[in-house]
Amino acid sequence: MYYQLINFGNEEFHAYPNKSLYWKRLNTLIVSDLHIGKSISYAKNKQFLPPYDTKEILNKIFVSLDKIKPSNLIIVGDLLHDVFSTLSIKDQDYKNLSQYMKNTNFVWIKGNHDKNIQIEGFKNFTNYKIEKFLFTHIPIETSLFQICGHYHPKVKIVHRGKTIFKTSFVHNEKIFILPSFGILTGGLDINSKEIRDVLGKKNLNIYPVGQDKVYKL
Amino acid sequence: MNINKSNPLLLHPLNKWMKKKKWSWFPHQIETFRHVRTGSDVVVFAPTGAGKTLTGFINPIDDLIKLKKFKGLHTLYISPLKSLANDIVRNLEKPIKELDLKISFQVRTGDTTQYKKQKQKQKPPNILITTPESLALLNSYENAKEFFHNLKYIIIDEIHTFLDNKRADLLSLNIERLQTFSPSLQRIGLSATLKNKLDAKKWLCRKKPKIVSYENSVLPKIKILESKERIPWSGHMATYSINEIYKEITKSKLTIIFVNTRAQAEYMFKNLWLINKKKLKIAVHHGSLEKNLRLKVENNLSKGLVDCVVATSSLELGLDYGDVEKIIQVGAPKGINRLLQRVGRSNHNLNTPSKAILVPTNRFEFIEAKAAIEEIKKNNLDKIDLKEGSFDVVAQHIFATACAGQFDINDLYKEIIKAYPYKKLKLNDFKQLINLIQDGGYVLKNYDQFKRIFQLRENKNIYKLVHKRETLKYRMNVGTIIENPMLKIKLGTKTLGNIEEVFIQNLSQGDSFIFAGQVLEFQSMKNNLVQVKRSKSLISKIPSYSGGRMPLSTNLANSVRALLAKSNMWDLYPEQITEWLKRQKNTSKIPKKDEYLVEQFPRKKIFYTVIYTFAGWHANQTLGFLLLRGFKEFNYKPLGFVANDYAIVLWSLKEVKEIRTILNLGLLDKHLDNYLEETSIVKRLFRDNAIISCLIERRLPGMEKTGKQVLFSSDLIYTVLKKNEPDHILLKSSYEDAKKNMIDYDRLREILKKIDKKIILKKLTSISPLAVPIILEINRENLSKKETDEYILEDLENEILKEANVLSIN
Repeated sequence: MYYQLINFGNEEFHAYPNKSLYWKRLNTLIVSDLHIGKSISYAKNKQFLPPYDTKEILNKIFVSLDKIKPSNLIIVGDLLHDVFSTLSIKDQDYKNLSQYMKNTNFVWIKGNHDKNIQIEGFKNFTNYKIEKFLFTHIPIETSLFQICGHYHPKVKIVHRGKTIFKTSFVHNEKIFILPSFGILTGGLDINSKEIRDVLGKKNLNIYPVGQDKVYKL
Repeated sequence: MNINKSNPLLLHPLNKWMKKKKWSWFPHQIETFRHVRTGSDVVVFAPTGAGKTLTGFINPIDDLIKLKKFKGLHTLYISPLKSLANDIVRNLEKPIKELDLKISFQVRTGDTTQYKKQKQKQKPPNILITTPESLALLNSYENAKEFFHNLKYIIIDEIHTFLDNKRADLLSLNIERLQTFSPSLQRIGLSATLKNKLDAKKWLCRKKPKIVSYENSVLPKIKILESKERIPWSGHMATYSINEIYKEITKSKLTIIFVNTRAQAEYMFKNLWLINKKKLKIAVHHGSLEKNLRLKVENNLSKGLVDCVVATSSLELGLDYGDVEKIIQVGAPKGINRLLQRVGRSNHNLNTPSKAILVPTNRFEFIEAKAAIEEIKKNNLDKIDLKEGSFDVVAQHIFATACAGQFDINDLYKEIIKAYPYKKLKLNDFKQLINLIQDGGYVLKNYDQFKRIFQLRENKNIYKLVHKRETLKYRMNVGTIIENPMLKIKLGTKTLGNIEEVFIQNLSQGDSFIFAGQVLEFQSMKNNLVQVKRSKSLISKIPSYSGGRMPLSTNLANSVRALLAKSNMWDLYPEQITEWLKRQKNTSKIPKKDEYLVEQFPRKKIFYTVIYTFAGWHANQTLGFLLLRGFKEFNYKPLGFVANDYAIVLWSLKEVKEIRTILNLGLLDKHLDNYLEETSIVKRLFRDNAIISCLIERRLPGMEKTGKQVLFSSDLIYTVLKKNEPDHILLKSSYEDAKKNMIDYDRLREILKKIDKKIILKKLTSISPLAVPIILEINRENLSKKETDEYILEDLENEILKEANVLSIN
């Protein structure tokens, strides 16, 4: 898999087109906003999205874990869409997850969607510190470098008279925001007030995710 | 035959009023009256001005007067447009008020206030004038049966506009429902003259079907604008003739200028104002304008308070604005029926001809305009193809049925297959659609606990809505017309209308654009409101609207080909057109009526192949994509193509040597599936299907979530579904829609079946005169959305890299 090299906080990270981020030195894979079970949660409100998102998200994770064999997997929030979500995880998937957890340390940071949910055998944290990096769903007041999720950033590109939107990795000097790893999850414009309040407007590094490649703007 | 002696209408309650107006009954009115009175369902074909609307109401009014103070709903009148519904009320009001008849009548459309709608339900009028969507809504109420059980007549106005689209499907299902509620219901259809009258009869009539037809012997007077200016090679804006168009307006009391798109309407309107030295009152009318603005224009039009209105198809139908003296059609007529409909807007008097002027905006359109005039002289109309019913509309209808109360699926199925478009609906497909409404109809039965409708335990054939609140969701989603996401435009606190989100996305703060005839400056977008202020800027973008690009009709296309081949006619054309065609004849060839000319020539190291199919835009677009794949297979290194109504041009790095081997029916069979998959056509139709079938909710103005992420995109759903459940009924439905509507599959097939024997191949050394217009249209590379996105990203990244290098060198 091709990746885009990103330097953040003087560390080397790799951004993959499957929307995961890899911290090479510590052999750590980072994903965010999986929103497992979004379809079943919508079904509650009689919007019947195809019930295949959970299976696909987990497969995507499993493929990454097989390929990279990371020592740590950090999920920076919103692993689950809501309390119903676990209904959509099949028994076999639980077994697979437990199997992977033997070799990889799973760090589940709680997001706004899954803060009240527990899964047996899953450790969870409100945030997680490694050296000068803080992993958290939504950025907080700190002097540490932060790696977070929550916003599902996408970038609007106007070029040669065409406008397209692309899911993106984005960071400024101190804060890194991952795109959503989910299947049925939408995005929020980097220029929206919500993201601007966090990252500011200037000195943004934006990495739109293409079909098989992560670009750099 | 002396009509008066045997005329039963002389005893009709309206006869007094007719006499007062010094009008006499038309033969077709008498005939309709007789047929309906003896229990027939009837379709009436008559030109505008032949009292069509009145024809529909003759039996209902007679009946209502005889019944004396009939309580409740007696007659339902279905109109294709809201504006037309309002006009019908105005027209009905006159005789009923003047004669003081005790008949109540009201209009009910999306524009009717909630309060009025409530009152109508409690105390229905005798005659209700409404639209297909409002009818569907009425049928979804629990008391629908009581509301309609005494219904005697349903009148479908402008039935020819309902035959070939999803609204027709929706309407047909709801008419069958009314028939179930009130078995004695009779159907009356009113139509413009039609080529295939029998099809319309089959679609509508059940009881002793009858056709009543009245042909107008006075032909309209249509001519092409004689311009001193050069007719441009390509383009669609008619800027060249603006002064001459203005002059024509000054010559008539009231003119309607019809254009083909909303963008053209705004552009024409703006340009007329720029030269409006005589301070004529000119207005603009199109479907994106705010209701109040539209109504104001319509009122001014009927009162004769304006001199000219620039309009799109929004003013095309039925409206009776008596004083319109002249029609100007700017741009290609596209079809005979459509042109006649537009021309018929002028001079609603049968004995004097309608007057119209055609303004071609480019050279091919000149030939097309000429051909259209010829066909109208011969009364050779376009055939309207009835469509087979779409699945998504059935799904919506199932939901509506559930909202009205529990139902037996066997009864519902039997009722649905009575509707003409659904005669061939398979029980199995119907059951899948039931499942679609129940829980999305997926193979994985994950949603058992969240169903929308459920089977009763004691009778598995009976389904019931899970909860009453679901009815609200149906009501938000009713209808088959899906517009692109629109944003409201606010000038101060005043709403001007709706504009496509895509258009606004391309604007930056301070950009000016023209809307509702005003130049506006884009200020900000907040909560889906676009805030603008007035601008004095003269440079402006015109809003583009993607909807409603109509392909050239097969009938008119044939006529264009025939006319082009008639070289003895050329001398009658303006010199520049004659010159153009003569030069084509000398340097290449003018194709005969049944020939397909293919020209190939090099230009600036690129190799061009132009194919003149005259197949209409949709079919040509499809053929372009297929050929692109064919060329790739032969390793000609194709770079792109452009299609219009008349031709396709493809350009490649290598010479295309085997065009005869590639261009045949095999091309269609081999690459069609790939084509549908790669382009966004099916994806886009999937969105419509998902919304119409109520799988996902319609985005209504004002109800979008603010701030946070958009709920989800239908593209994502499509991708997941396609991967995991390729046989899902909605994918099947989208694919069928694409084949039927978007790509003109049947038309293309017909052409490709016979094309290989009729190709005339011309190898040229340079561009031919006939090819100039389409070559000028080349301004973009046609790549699939996926490819385009990657291309844009790649290109932008490279540009930035280059810029960075330059900076570091400096």
